[in-house]
Amino acid sequence: MSRIGVFVCHCGENISRTVDVERVAAQVGKMPGVAFATDYKYMCSDPGQTLLKKTIQEQKLSHVVVAACSPRMHEKTFRKAVEAAGLNPYLCEMANIREHCSWVHEDKQEATAKAIEIVGMLVERVKKNRVLPTITVPVTKRSLVIGGGIAGIQAALDIADAGHEVVLVERDPSIGGHMAQLSETFPTLDCSQCIMTPKMVDVANHPNITLYSYSEIEQVDGYIGNFQVTIRRKARSVDEDKCTGCGVCMEKCPVKKIPNKFDCNLGMRPAIYVPFPQAVPNTPVIDRDNCIKFKTGKCGLCQKVCGPGAVDYEQEDTLIVEPVGAIVVATGFDLYTIDEKPKGSMIKGYGEFGHGKIPDVIDGMTFERLASASGPTGGKILRPSDGKEPKQIVFIQCIGSRAREKGISYCSKVCCMYTAKHTMLYHHKVHDGQAYVFFMDARTPGKAYDEFWRRSIEEEEAVYIRGMVSRLYQKGNKIVVMGSDIAVGVQVEIEADMVVLATAIQPRTGADSLAQKLGISYDKYNFYSEAHAKLRPVECATAGIYLAGACQGPKDIPDTVSQASAAAAKVMTLFAKDKLEREPIVARVKEAGCVGCFACKKVCAYGAVEEKEIRDRQGNLIKVVAYVNPGVCGGCGTCQATCPSKSVELDGYTDEQIVAMIEAL
Amino acid sequence: MTQTIDTNIYAAVTEAIQSEAQRILAAGEVTAIVGYAAARRKGSAQPIVITSADDAQKLIFTPACVNNLAVYLTKAKKEIPKSGRIGIVVKGCDLKALVGLMGESQLKREQLYLIGVPCAGVLASTIQPDTGLTSDSIAPKCRECDAHLPQGCDFVPSQTPVTPELEKKYAAEIARLEALTPQERWAYWKEQFSKCIKCYACRQVCPFCFCEQCLCDRNKPQMVDTTPRPAGNTAWHIVRAMHLAGRCAGCAECERVCPMDIPLNLLNRKMAKELKELYDYEAGFDVHDKGPLNSYTEKDDQSFIK
Repeated sequence: MSRIGVFVCHCGENISRTVDVERVAAQVGKMPGVAFATDYKYMCSDPGQTLLKKTIQEQKLSHVVVAACSPRMHEKTFRKAVEAAGLNPYLCEMANIREHCSWVHEDKQEATAKAIEIVGMLVERVKKNRVLPTITVPVTKRSLVIGGGIAGIQAALDIADAGHEVVLVERDPSIGGHMAQLSETFPTLDCSQCIMTPKMVDVANHPNITLYSYSEIEQVDGYIGNFQVTIRRKARSVDEDKCTGCGVCMEKCPVKKIPNKFDCNLGMRPAIYVPFPQAVPNTPVIDRDNCIKFKTGKCGLCQKVCGPGAVDYEQEDTLIVEPVGAIVVATGFDLYTIDEKPKGSMIKGYGEFGHGKIPDVIDGMTFERLASASGPTGGKILRPSDGKEPKQIVFIQCIGSRAREKGISYCSKVCCMYTAKHTMLYHHKVHDGQAYVFFMDARTPGKAYDEFWRRSIEEEEAVYIRGMVSRLYQKGNKIVVMGSDIAVGVQVEIEADMVVLATAIQPRTGADSLAQKLGISYDKYNFYSEAHAKLRPVECATAGIYLAGACQGPKDIPDTVSQASAAAAKVMTLFAKDKLEREPIVARVKEAGCVGCFACKKVCAYGAVEEKEIRDRQGNLIKVVAYVNPGVCGGCGTCQATCPSKSVELDGYTDEQIVAMIEAL
Repeated sequence: MTQTIDTNIYAAVTEAIQSEAQRILAAGEVTAIVGYAAARRKGSAQPIVITSADDAQKLIFTPACVNNLAVYLTKAKKEIPKSGRIGIVVKGCDLKALVGLMGESQLKREQLYLIGVPCAGVLASTIQPDTGLTSDSIAPKCRECDAHLPQGCDFVPSQTPVTPELEKKYAAEIARLEALTPQERWAYWKEQFSKCIKCYACRQVCPFCFCEQCLCDRNKPQMVDTTPRPAGNTAWHIVRAMHLAGRCAGCAECERVCPMDIPLNLLNRKMAKELKELYDYEAGFDVHDKGPLNSYTEKDDQSFIK
């Protein structure tokens, strides 16, 4: 006979406001099998848990039902408490009378009646709970980091420094990401390359880091502690092991005038190239779309001049499989482009700002390349149209960001600060120039951030105009900027030489398809979702996968680096144990009834179902049945729903339990 | 107007089956053959398992050879590895069941020797066995047959059946039911299911009901009422229809054996039609097919999510 204890939580007033918790406890106390029922203000608090533990021992309870919030919230808490009191944790169930009842109802009478029924169902279910032993699975102490920007680099270095192997996968020919493109960084104005490139070199030289540049994630199988990741190494056409990085091939390449994406298409590169001189690895890649050899079959100059014979036109994509225990996703961001929007996208463009039509309307990243000492102009601020120094420059903030009508309602977080920085860089380089900034409001929380912004106005003579620009148009070699100054309530018209748009941060194109490979969730913009906005900000809801940087949402460098180190710490926490304990809510095959049709195997999303031969003592095959590998099973229950003879069941959710719950209604 | 269906080839087919059966049994290629033999009543036929070449002349093929013999392989499947390769006489419709069973790991192709039958049709279950095959006496399933000549068999007699185009009765009946309101349709099926006496003949004869322990026989928990009451009857027939969706290829044995004349194959054909319309899928052609109901693709119809 069961001796079930029921503990009804008030959740402060969250539940007791709409549910008569005392009546619930009194009614449930009369149900068959219930030995004890009480209510308490905060069951999850320390005194609440102590009450639970004490009662289990005093009343010699066999099962426990906690009627409180969602099991997602506190199931772990109460199962731990039950375990501490000496019961198997899986003999404790939660009845959700908050999300499923008090929060969604107003009438106290009816809500109370419903709460009693919910608890009654769980009482019937818990009676049929089995003692489940915890499952342990081995942990592969290697980590995958996806993305070689500052986030991925930082996470990879931290994990590698802790003594674990790291596989770093970068889509582009070189690591470095957006940060390698920046000129100087706020709020200290140190040179981005000077602080970034040493870290890139550290990655290249670290004995624990395997770097796969020019590579992409093809497929992810497995689960926390035991992922198998298939990586596509795109054909570089240059053998990384042979290439010495001398650069002769790039000098001799007859195709020279290909716009370099790294320089926002302002600089030019050959068909065999490294994106920038400090690239890691310093191994060129052939851009097959522009290479004469690949287009016509002739040329082959780079192969002829290559001393070590590293150029290989025959190279093909290769797939490699890496076993890893944890994955850090650090795929970064793309910048909003105001002119090109994919068909069907919820994001709309700004026709009125002339980006892409007026050559001297550029975005913030292009300005970074102009201001960078290693950029296409050697660090001189020059207009793309005629190479002249702009004497009047207008910066416009919130392009795309915070514009619900354009499809993006979030703030991109970094633009206020980088525009302030741009005005300073401009003032440092063009002493007689004047910078204007159109802004909605300046968002500068962060250490030394507001001081930095004030400095741009007070010391560096930037003129900030609160208001939005309505229209830009070319007039001679000037760009007329029409806007309003809402502080004084007048229309403003500025004849600018150049306009810089602070475009929004957006998730990478294709972020959703990577998320689907990884099995992680993402929001409507395709930013990856953390498990909990406040308390689990670097973990994904999918166990063993962690987030770092702007792939989760707009972030500046300090935040990105912090989160990358946090993700690394989470990986190290996982790797601190040799075995991973996991919930034993897994499917089990009842072999007597199994006919081996393997419908379960066909539908299993985790690849957990195997074929098992049953033999008699003489070794004769009796039959072949399904077997669920408990280490791999995700506990989704699809097999249970599919099995025609009901011969596979999910522990904790057996048909018997579900039917008992239905019958309790 | 009654139309005679030519079954003259059946005599030659019988001879061909007999000589092939004699050959493979004598050569030891198979250890047993499941086929049809004459039964006691004039013109009738019954299933037979022969293990000796001398018995090969017992095998026949006539319009009375209605049974789907695939079912014997499922119940006996544990014996197959022990007794070697088994020969089986199959009509096109029966072959579809074998194909389905192979896809569900119940049979292996290499364990079977398939003797295909060129078939113009068999008699309806309501017709006396000694009747000639006509457009009136032919089984309803044969009216819409698309497998008169079974494909991919180890042996098929060389005769070609003459198969006139006949009015499709299931298709017409489905169209009639689809035109009803949901209430009328429900009333129709409720009436049909109310006749059920829970004899489970439909289950016993179905090649796809191969579970050793049917979920309807389980009592912990009791999924389906065992006594013939309306609610339990409906549950049983819906479970049966759902379990056959995407698997049943329409041998219509369930309908043939039902003592209460419940139009079971009509329900099965409706499910097959849904599968065809939703997923462009037809059961019984591809052995390795996962089937649309246990796979997911992004192209799957999602209009039901509202």
